[in-house]
Amino acid sequence: MSKLISRAAFLRGALALGALGLAGKSIYERQSLLRQIPCRVLGPSRGLGHKLRDGVALLPGESKDSLQKKVLIIGAGIAGLSAAWWLKRNGFSDFVLIELEKHAGGNAASGRNEISAYPWGAHYVPLANEESKYVRLLFEELGIISSYDQQSLPLYNELYLCHEPQEKLFKDGSFQEGLVPKRGLQPKEKDELSRFFALVAELRSKIGKDSRPAFAIPLDQSSQDEEYLQLDRISMAEWLKENRFSTRPLLWYVNYCCRDDYGSSIDNVSAWAALHYFAGRRGKAGNAEMNSVVTWPEGNGFLVESLRKYSEEQIMTATLAARIIADGDRLETLCLKDAGGKELCIKSSALIFSAPRFLAQYLIQDHEKHNNADSKSLVYAPWLVANVSLRQVPSCRSELFAWDNVDYYSDSLGYVMATHQNISTRTGATVLTYYYPMSAEEPMLARRKLLNLDEKLWSEKIIADLERLNPGIRSDILSIDFWPWGHGMIRPSVGYIWGENRRKMKENSGQIFFAHSDMSGISNFEEAQYHGVEAAKAVLAKFGQS
Amino acid sequence: MTYPLLITAFIISTCGLIYELIAGTIASYLLGDSITQFSIVIGVYLFSMGVGSYLSRFIERNVVGTFIKVEMLVGLVGGCSAAGLFLLFEHVESFRILLYATVSLIGTLIGLEVPLLMRVLKDRLEFKDLVSQIFTFDYVGALIASLLFPLVLVPVLGLMRSSFLFGILNVVVALWTIHLFREELPWLRVLRASAYALIVLLVCGFAFSDKLMALSESSAFPDNIIYSTSTPYQRIVLTGNNRDFKLYLNGNLQFSSKDEYRYHEALIHPALASLKSPSEVLVLGGGDGLAVRELLKYPALKKIVLVDLDKKMTDLFSEPGLLSQLNQGSLRDPKVTVINQDAFVWLRGCKNKFDFIVVDFPDPSNFSLGKLYSDTFYRALKQVLKPEGLLVVQSTSPYYAKNSFWCVVNTLNQVGLQTTPYHAYVPSFGDWGYVLASNEAFKKADSYPPGLRYLSAAAFDQMLYFPDDMRPTVKAVNKLNNQALVHLFESEWSEYVEAH
Ligand SMILES: Cc1cc2nc3c(=O)[nH]c(=O)nc-3n(C[C@H](O)[C@H](O)[C@H](O)COP(=O)(O)OP(=O)(O)OC[C@H]3O[C@@H](n4cnc5c(N)ncnc54)[C@H](O)[C@@H]3O)c2cc1C
Repeated sequence: MSKLISRAAFLRGALALGALGLAGKSIYERQSLLRQIPCRVLGPSRGLGHKLRDGVALLPGESKDSLQKKVLIIGAGIAGLSAAWWLKRNGFSDFVLIELEKHAGGNAASGRNEISAYPWGAHYVPLANEESKYVRLLFEELGIISSYDQQSLPLYNELYLCHEPQEKLFKDGSFQEGLVPKRGLQPKEKDELSRFFALVAELRSKIGKDSRPAFAIPLDQSSQDEEYLQLDRISMAEWLKENRFSTRPLLWYVNYCCRDDYGSSIDNVSAWAALHYFAGRRGKAGNAEMNSVVTWPEGNGFLVESLRKYSEEQIMTATLAARIIADGDRLETLCLKDAGGKELCIKSSALIFSAPRFLAQYLIQDHEKHNNADSKSLVYAPWLVANVSLRQVPSCRSELFAWDNVDYYSDSLGYVMATHQNISTRTGATVLTYYYPMSAEEPMLARRKLLNLDEKLWSEKIIADLERLNPGIRSDILSIDFWPWGHGMIRPSVGYIWGENRRKMKENSGQIFFAHSDMSGISNFEEAQYHGVEAAKAVLAKFGQS
Repeated sequence: MTYPLLITAFIISTCGLIYELIAGTIASYLLGDSITQFSIVIGVYLFSMGVGSYLSRFIERNVVGTFIKVEMLVGLVGGCSAAGLFLLFEHVESFRILLYATVSLIGTLIGLEVPLLMRVLKDRLEFKDLVSQIFTFDYVGALIASLLFPLVLVPVLGLMRSSFLFGILNVVVALWTIHLFREELPWLRVLRASAYALIVLLVCGFAFSDKLMALSESSAFPDNIIYSTSTPYQRIVLTGNNRDFKLYLNGNLQFSSKDEYRYHEALIHPALASLKSPSEVLVLGGGDGLAVRELLKYPALKKIVLVDLDKKMTDLFSEPGLLSQLNQGSLRDPKVTVINQDAFVWLRGCKNKFDFIVVDFPDPSNFSLGKLYSDTFYRALKQVLKPEGLLVVQSTSPYYAKNSFWCVVNTLNQVGLQTTPYHAYVPSFGDWGYVLASNEAFKKADSYPPGLRYLSAAAFDQMLYFPDDMRPTVKAVNKLNNQALVHLFESEWSEYVEAH
């Protein structure tokens, strides 16, 4: 009898759980029946881009509108905008900057709705290193760095420094501060984490025989000692193995950082690149911790807007460069305006190419003759970004929200809260920017998936992900907008950063100067700006100005 | 008689499962983390059922009678469980103990019932039929319950009503069993009477569930609620009666009409009375108009600007009635301009400068309030303060949260202001702190306006003295990117709350 009862009891429990499931499911279904969350797929104009790949038939010169400028800059991403900034601040304004999209920004573009501004891609910049001269200069000009203290440490505008709490990690059922796993670790796991951070700290302070830091920002200023460069010839996964790192929390963390910064897993990025992320950031501030960052509701859209203002008259949006014909010192660039409606020919005597580097082969006539870099071998990591508008910050955990919120168990990178930097008392509504690097599959396959984005499927995936961190969040979602980045960022594959190919990529081809973060092999604000300014300097030098 | 008893098995199992689901839902509702709560509740419930089954062997005589008593007890405990848990949540030290005790009790009683029922039926059915039938009905009941609960009960009746309803059902089963066994039961009348009494009790509970629910909200407040409303920013609750009333924002006491004069006199007069010829004053927060009432005791003032986020709050305190009696209609005074905007945002766009600034925000209990105590905020304040002007900041209790209090002092110093901290005793708050800040050294007032009940030169001298137990042990500056104050405040107040 008692056996029967205990089985009965067990089954009863199972039933109760079933009921729980049913309750959940019925509520879930009712809600999704009652309300379809509006979804939109936005994103870079793909049609135009693919036109380029497939080759456009354009008539040369004469008949169309034409424009004569000393310099043409193609692509108003951070690199192009920075080139323009540099030209302008050196009193040079005989140039035009064309951008295929309706708005400047590229990967640092942003959007805005009734609730808040929010990023579509790049969303923060770490504290600037001492050698990051151009970053510091711009930060001073924009008041991001307001002054320097007695130890000549920069003092940052505290409205822009990421407010506390900066990062939270959801692991083992609750949130912890910071992204390095802390709670519930085995002694071995803890040891590995501290050994890793000790190693990184050592690398951070290393100076090479050429008196350059082992890892510098911009990376072209890094030491050329073989000791460090050889790290570029193995993957991060191999490096970790060689150094006997094997516990899950550490591997998770390192892999997370690689996916976060390079959109690729530890198997696909070189150890040099991965270590650069940890050991390269040496920026300090008189009024913030070392790992602080500057950020805005619209992410790096703030920097885009500030840079755009320098060259407002020179920027021409909705203009696609379709073909570049170089004839000695004379350059002719054929453009399509307003989604292909009009054609325009821009004549210039120098050109800064700050569109993604792989496009050069499609755009520049006979490019291979002048520059034998192999741009077909460049690998780009595809990303999916989604902005999720919420009626309110989920009430049960509202105070637990940080700027960056990460789930240990998810393939996504988590989400950033746009209203975090607001100084107004929160009324509740907010926008979450959700980041998903498609690092698990071949980039080609992933790009195809992005091209035919199934928004139903993805919105369910995102909601399920958010629900784990914030039970009940579904009913607060007002809308979800997607932004697929087919060629999100260049991947610092093994051997790329310090290999022959990148060196060739950077070489100018006649009067064409290349400036895009692709030329670094890692994609971030500092590198993009560096290449933009360097290209502008080369152009100024050509015209005898400096 | 056999079938009626089998139906009883069905009802019992339905009710049992419903109580379990109710307890699980309330636990996850009140304590959060639904998976953990549900698992534990189910575990405790099942285990208690085992205990009940085991205990059933000790019942030798009067099996039917015991069955009926158990049934009525289940009705009582289960029926009142939701109401009890909600009402007691605020009052018991450890809610978990109460919760698991309730669940165990219900589990044990339900665990007793099925074996007892089987024993009642054992002479009427063959063993194999008995087992098969009882469990069939038992499981069907469980299925019905699990379907009813999410689809009908929670959405239509709510948790409290559902639990009363099933309590009533349990007692009806008991009554029915009494009826079936009326020939052989001892104490028939007593049993019947108590069953009816229980039904009346539970029906009342069912009928007044709304009232009970309201009570469970208001039980968080010691007095009667006279008025309550929710705004986009906060929940405003007013309790008490005409003679003494209290205002709560998000459950935190803002003032008690009995002693708020102490708080507001101490906030305003030490600074304002010391100024030579003040004419323009800015009040940030303080939508209750009580600080403004004190300001209006200086006829020389020309202009008072009050910036408070919440329009509903300032409207409430402007309308004629109890509240504007308390602030003496201060918000309707022609000198006063009320601006409903976020203080920090407004401040950054403000072009005027003021002789005196009153900062009267809620305590820094969360990150968005913490921003209003940051050095960046104080820097913005300094921009709108005249060179010889003064500002005062309400800065939580230097007794309960001494490090928080001194953190405000440090933060004001950090932006280059000279500070004069002081504190006053306000009975309904405890020892309360203020920080006066200025560009030049502060000089005490020679005289105060007439008609003050608390503040005087002698009283203020006392306020300036900080005994040793109010001295800080940590030195911190509150910044947007460290929120040091919120962290300190949280740890200091939670220590205090836990200790009491
Ligand atoms: C999802 C995501 C998140 C990121 N997060 C960060 C971050 O937090 N911090 C950070 O520092 N970096 C981040 N990055 C890296 C980011 O790529 C760089 O910071 C930087 O914005 C790159 O700038 P760029 O000018 O080199 O390139 P792009 O932004 O790629 O600019 C190239 C521009 O050229 C235009 N263009 C292309 N073809 C043509 C043509 N034929 N004619 C005219 N115009 C053309 C494009 O529209 C684009 O505007 C992120 C990137 C992604 C994808």
